[in-house]
Amino acid sequence: MATTQATISLTSSDITGDPLNLTKTTLLTKAGTDTGLDEFTGITKRLYPAAQTDTVIAADASYASTTVAHKVYVANVTSANVTSYIMIEMEGNILVGRLYPGDWCFIPWAGTLDIMVTTVDPHVAIEYGIFSQSVAS
Amino acid sequence: MATITASLTLTSPDLTTDSLNLSTSATFTKAGTSTGLTSCTGVARKTTTATTQYVLFDGDAFGNGAHKVYIKNTSSTAAEYVTIEINSEQMGKLYAGDWCLFPWEANADTNDIKLAPSVSTTFTVEYALFYE
Repeated sequence: MATTQATISLTSSDITGDPLNLTKTTLLTKAGTDTGLDEFTGITKRLYPAAQTDTVIAADASYASTTVAHKVYVANVTSANVTSYIMIEMEGNILVGRLYPGDWCFIPWAGTLDIMVTTVDPHVAIEYGIFSQSVAS
Repeated sequence: MATITASLTLTSPDLTTDSLNLSTSATFTKAGTSTGLTSCTGVARKTTTATTQYVLFDGDAFGNGAHKVYIKNTSSTAAEYVTIEINSEQMGKLYAGDWCLFPWEANADTNDIKLAPSVSTTFTVEYALFYE
């Protein structure tokens, strides 16, 4: 099985009087096991010529669900305008949050609700990838 | 203003025949500006001994903004997980060692972030909120 690692580093010398310096690495494994995830979409890049509303980037119908350890990576790679955010949503108008240009997220996904993006401006660019397990554990 | 940097590295030599090696970095800024976020909870831990769902962050306690949430399951037992809900809908589960980072729109008291441990034995999550 594949070995996939995700590492996060959070650093700040001045957010508080105690400098922040956190680094964590996880192996992406199937739910409840030590076996690596076996599916990956690749990293997709989309440059939307027009604003998008509820554009699905991860369709629940295409994935195993519930007892799964899928992970979704999304980045707003728009460079021109600091106000060109994208909204990360789950099906049913569940707003998770906004990614401003340069921001990224890495979220666990149960595969039970579509993951969607809405953009407010034209010419917004995003990257995303889905790491998943082919069969629920 | 503070400078907070979040870096991500995703690597795999064998997930596909094209090895994965993605690195990206973000500086946390206030919504629509180049000004750094000014507040954080600190990196904290919460230990539970029940499977009862609890509110990690109350949407009503924070205004709108470019908030970021970090959560990690510190367990080393593969079967132990924590379920993350937002607005009472399941986002996903973090299994042992897994972490996540996501933006949060704390726009209403309904948009709480809630956690539910899978076990009633000692179970610890690590978390932090960076906010405006």
